[in-house]
Amino acid sequence: MKERRLITKILYHILVLAFGFIMVYPVLWMISGSFKDNAEILRGTLSLIPKDLKMSNYPTGFRGFGGTSFAVFFKNSMVVTTIATFGTVISSSLVAYSLSRIKFRGRNLWFTCMLATMMLPGQVIMIPQYLIYYRLHLVPGYVPLILPYFCGQAFFIYQMMQFMQGIPRELDEAAKIDGCSKYGIYARIILPLLKPAIVTTVIIQFYWKWDDYMGPLLYLSRPQSYTASIAIKLFADSASVTDYGAMFAMSTLSLIPVFLIFLFFNKYLVEGIGTSGLKG
Amino acid sequence: MKRRLLSSLMVLTMLTASVVGCGNAAADSTDSAPQQEATKEEKAEAPADSATEAPAESEEEITLRMAWWGSQDRHDKTIAAIELYESLHPNITFEYEFYSFDDYFTKLKTLVASDEVWDVFQLGGNFPMYLDKIYPLDEYIESGVVDVSNISEANLKTTRDKDGTQLGLTNGINTYGIAYDPAMFEEAGAELPNENWTWDDYQKAADLITEKLGIFGSSTFLSSDFIAGCSAYVSQQGALGENSFFNIDLTGMGFTDYQLLTPFIQMRADMIKKGSYPDAGASAEVTNIENDFLVTGEAAMTWVAVNQFPTIYNVCEEQGRTLALAPIPKVTADGNSGMVIQSSQMLCVSQDSAHKEAAAAFISWFENDIDCNMILQAERGIPSNELVREALAKEATTAQQIMYDYVDYVSKLPTPSEYNVLSPDGQDQVQDNYLNYIQQVVSGEITADEAAQKTYSDAEALFK
Amino acid sequence: MEKLRAKLNSDAVVGHVFAAPFIFGFVCFSLIPICMSLGYSFTDYSLGSKQAVFVGVKNFLNLFKDEVFSKSILKTLQYVLISVPIKLSFALLVAYILTRKSRMVTLYRSLYYVPSLVGGSVAVALVWKQLFARKGLFNSILVNMGLEKINWFGDEHLAIYPLILMAVWQFGSSMIIFAAGLKEIPRTYYEAAQIDGANGFQSFFRITLPCLSPIILYNLVMQTIAAFMTFTQAFIITGGGPNNATMLYALNVYNQAFKYNNMGYACAMSWVMLIVMSLITLLIFRSSKFWVFNEAEG
Repeated sequence: MKERRLITKILYHILVLAFGFIMVYPVLWMISGSFKDNAEILRGTLSLIPKDLKMSNYPTGFRGFGGTSFAVFFKNSMVVTTIATFGTVISSSLVAYSLSRIKFRGRNLWFTCMLATMMLPGQVIMIPQYLIYYRLHLVPGYVPLILPYFCGQAFFIYQMMQFMQGIPRELDEAAKIDGCSKYGIYARIILPLLKPAIVTTVIIQFYWKWDDYMGPLLYLSRPQSYTASIAIKLFADSASVTDYGAMFAMSTLSLIPVFLIFLFFNKYLVEGIGTSGLKG
Repeated sequence: MKRRLLSSLMVLTMLTASVVGCGNAAADSTDSAPQQEATKEEKAEAPADSATEAPAESEEEITLRMAWWGSQDRHDKTIAAIELYESLHPNITFEYEFYSFDDYFTKLKTLVASDEVWDVFQLGGNFPMYLDKIYPLDEYIESGVVDVSNISEANLKTTRDKDGTQLGLTNGINTYGIAYDPAMFEEAGAELPNENWTWDDYQKAADLITEKLGIFGSSTFLSSDFIAGCSAYVSQQGALGENSFFNIDLTGMGFTDYQLLTPFIQMRADMIKKGSYPDAGASAEVTNIENDFLVTGEAAMTWVAVNQFPTIYNVCEEQGRTLALAPIPKVTADGNSGMVIQSSQMLCVSQDSAHKEAAAAFISWFENDIDCNMILQAERGIPSNELVREALAKEATTAQQIMYDYVDYVSKLPTPSEYNVLSPDGQDQVQDNYLNYIQQVVSGEITADEAAQKTYSDAEALFK
Repeated sequence: MEKLRAKLNSDAVVGHVFAAPFIFGFVCFSLIPICMSLGYSFTDYSLGSKQAVFVGVKNFLNLFKDEVFSKSILKTLQYVLISVPIKLSFALLVAYILTRKSRMVTLYRSLYYVPSLVGGSVAVALVWKQLFARKGLFNSILVNMGLEKINWFGDEHLAIYPLILMAVWQFGSSMIIFAAGLKEIPRTYYEAAQIDGANGFQSFFRITLPCLSPIILYNLVMQTIAAFMTFTQAFIITGGGPNNATMLYALNVYNQAFKYNNMGYACAMSWVMLIVMSLITLLIFRSSKFWVFNEAEG
């Protein structure tokens, strides 16, 4: 009995690991590509071990363009992403609370509007949106990259709404009897219980914003203000030569912050499963 | 409650009003930014009497905005050139931006929408689309701000509009050719390309190479197959200048019989079926000239814009192979070549610029100054200025020398007195459809004749 | 004073106060562009220099004649209908398997999340291309097994599958959300079920699925919308080919708007798809009454 359990356990780990390897293989290939030279990458070998280790991709890539190094690009990305993620969490949880817990006139309308914002392709609203920021004299600058994130993001508003549905209404009622206002209920009951949804929001939004390049492309102009996402795209030019090695090297570096954020917040999704929920 | 409703209604009305306001503004933005427009217009008038304005201008602190697309190498070289210019003209500072090709045009389109196109900007063969944003250089050429004394008439013509206005100065002239590996031809016993080879020769050689060596005879021409198959192939037929794909002023078709296209489409489909030309799947694997099948050794020839030739020549040299360059095949050995010298890209002054004259002066320096071009190293194409070209040719590598010789050869070919190398708005759509039609011919959905007819009517539809 | 407080605490006020960020953002930055795109759809607006001219419903009529558009709709539907269910089942399965309390779980979950972190990167698109290339990994496996090579990106019927596989591969975000949802299910439920003698399967179907149903609904709606909007994969891997077999709708819109300079037409296309997507979303919401277990309301 005990042995069988051990075998199942080992099997489970082997399977999960093997499958995990297949999952991350393309990423590993990219990382190994950052140590290969251009010709080897383009030959398309799928081997993970570079023929001869080429370290120079990192310094070449990090040098950046025309005197602006990747240190600057990463710093810009960090600032924009951190603020935008923070904004998303705050604003989305507020909006989600109103749409899921408060019965007010128009909430169905706003909910529909929210979904509709996701259904038009960015390509058709991008230019009109640009013109608005332009009229407001906010271009070029970081404001258009950050401000919308303080207005709630549909993907996360809806996610938080669904999580709030799982929070029993009795808790609201109890708090109300204790003299808590609706504002208090949000701050004292809902927000703390929303932790898992907030954690996923941080993880996902951080990555999305970090990776977003259409926004920075439209709203930034000086190379010194570029984010890492556009800077990486600068290595690839379909009309001339692409330095894949340097691009992979910087893509690899660019993975580190998002991965660290994931590792840090992921532990909140793992530890103490089942200890939250109804305990309030 | 009621009052709240009322006030929110008011807010809504106001917002609706602003919606309408903005809607109009997008189409015609002059009214919403009156102040800016006013200053722009004032400045725009200034260069008109530039003789009196010029000295004042040189005292003034000027910031020029400039943008281009390209690779890391180009960015570094261009910035070095800009810094040299700044050191020579202390009153001028540059704010520059650079992007990859696709991003550059996305960004440019937003700037067109908001009337703030960079003072100096780079454009390729699609410039007719941006005509409204280009400030012609003619008045500066006349006043001597822009020096064209060492640029040949033919080269100036590459960046001229159909009515003769000089829209910009070319960064480099360019033309097309077929790069090939003579060793592979010899191994297969195929006849080497020569100056008068035909599409039949091309097909025969390709088929033979595929049969003997098991590789593609010819690598994919990608989207340039449209230029080879539609533009060049059409203008190669009939008398010199009789046919061209689009007419000279880009207002309609330049030929009447769609069947001129049929043999080329048939040839493509036949070659794909035989395996001597890559099918859609294989073509999708080529992302870049550097992993073209010719470079990877899976094909014996490919289509190149000649400024790309040194790059692939060097890569193949490292593999121990020597590439050569041939003109594109013709329809008949004694017929027209269909080839002309074109501009790879040009620098233009923007209509939105507040410092048009300073921008024009910079462009002139950029194209004519030898020190500047020693920094740039003809990376954008072959310099149009004779003196610059001579200076650079002294240090040319073998590959560059082949390229220079080839361009000289092409520039001496007979060309029609009037021709057009520009693409009308929407040509990309015709091009994409054309490539799809060839695939449909291969799969037997339609015949080559139908494909030719469809391509013709797609192109015709651009002008309706 | 008391009155003011009561008023401030009324649903109408609280609702608007909390929804204010969204309302502000929507009205200022989304509503106008949305209305403008609707307006453009009746014009021949192009992003170059031309002035927009009103053309009535011409764009919409042209859509029906456009072979590429109808093909792109079919291909997009195929893409959505195949990729979304597989992706979600996968995400749920992995999230469920990885709820075990084990030190390794963090590592495993990171492994499975990594693909989602590199989504739009050029590197991954290149790998993907090479995996399915004529001499790529998949074909060498097939050859080793004595089978025929498959020309993935050359075959109209097959070209969409590498894209679908790539979408499924990036199930990380849905997985994370499922994991968070699973975390919310009180353990007492499972304990009670265990006392009643339920086995693993029973408790999965009787407890996990119903408790997770709001999250499943959420992921279903969002992933469906996201799948309709898929752009990057098709843009960098296949560019829509061969013969438009991977011309996903968002790529088609991009081509029309930016490559072919028919912004008005692209807007018309977007609005047609907006309606299609709203109908599908509505259908999902209607059906959810039958399978979503709502704790707060129930």
